[in-house]
Amino acid sequence: MKGTVKDLLKISGVHGYAIVRDRNIQIKLPSKHRFAGAKNQIKILYDDLMQAQKRPGNTIEIYLEDLVLTVFISGITMLMVLSSTRVNLALVRMTGKLVIANLAKEKF
Amino acid sequence: MNQDISGGLDNTRCPEIIKILSLGRRSGRLFLNNGSATGNIFFRDGEVIHAQCGALQGIKAIYELAVWTSGEYTFSVDETPDIVTVDMPVDTILSEATNRIRQMDRIVSLIPSSTIVYAFDPDIKEKEITLKSIQWKVLAQIDGKKSIADIAQHIGLGVSDTMKVFYTLVKAGLLHEAYLAEVESTLDLIGLPDTPFIRALKDDLTRAVGPIAPFMITETAREMNIDLLAEDLEQKAALVETISSKIPSESMSLKFLDTMTDWIHTEAM
Repeated sequence: MKGTVKDLLKISGVHGYAIVRDRNIQIKLPSKHRFAGAKNQIKILYDDLMQAQKRPGNTIEIYLEDLVLTVFISGITMLMVLSSTRVNLALVRMTGKLVIANLAKEKF
Repeated sequence: MNQDISGGLDNTRCPEIIKILSLGRRSGRLFLNNGSATGNIFFRDGEVIHAQCGALQGIKAIYELAVWTSGEYTFSVDETPDIVTVDMPVDTILSEATNRIRQMDRIVSLIPSSTIVYAFDPDIKEKEITLKSIQWKVLAQIDGKKSIADIAQHIGLGVSDTMKVFYTLVKAGLLHEAYLAEVESTLDLIGLPDTPFIRALKDDLTRAVGPIAPFMITETAREMNIDLLAEDLEQKAALVETISSKIPSESMSLKFLDTMTDWIHTEAM
């Protein structure tokens, strides 16, 4: 296991991901996905979650009607995994924890 | 007490912190805590003047602290030591510390944790074995019950130096892991099913937490109401995730998560 975003995309039911670091946002989603152009909304969520007292922990699951947003935070880095509600969520959390640990180590 | 720098050792290792404090010509005390041990390094105008880690003092303590990969650190300004035990330029200290880290990375690939217990291997392949006195000192302590950390404490050697001795002894084929054999026998005792998943889980968890691994597996499965014989991948992943959150060392927890996530990914294909 390399613990990279590619490992996340291999999980059946994962649509894509967004990585936010300070002012940089990288979104990897199918072009027609309804979150594909949601840069501003993701940035608002990031700004809110960066305030540690506003979040329940460093791994957060947000359930929407037809998809789940699994958010991982380490320092000023946020990884958001977008998946269907039928995904193996424990596997997403396990892989996501490894990915965020590696992302947090990267120099940027 | 004025604390002005703090953080986690998983992101910034001790030599990097020493370098920053040295470049800033800082004076004060750097306190490090890895969950099971603590250490201090004192600075005066950016020079290291004293270090302590458990029973170790001076440069040996710095080399011990240099290889820590998890835990926290705090720098408190203007705290001064009662004694001076280090008189070496920071560049020389950092150069040797970097060598130690490289060495330690190699050691950890064979001996992932100081919680591992070793026993004598009855099938020695070499005809003749020559031992250094420190190796003999360590060998004399091996009883199939004491962990590497226990032995380090017993003989007053740093954990990293003791792991180095173990590395040589294991490489020479003199020792084998005692836990794995013990855990095999406890499997029946506590009723862990013998499946490839449970074997992988048990082996990796034993590397992270030692012989309590089978108990941790059954206890967590009981708490989560999970059937260990179930073939459901979601249940397996949930079990692994919960167990990983119970491993005290962050680096060991990530290592465990890494191997087991790989296992589950392969199974999911």
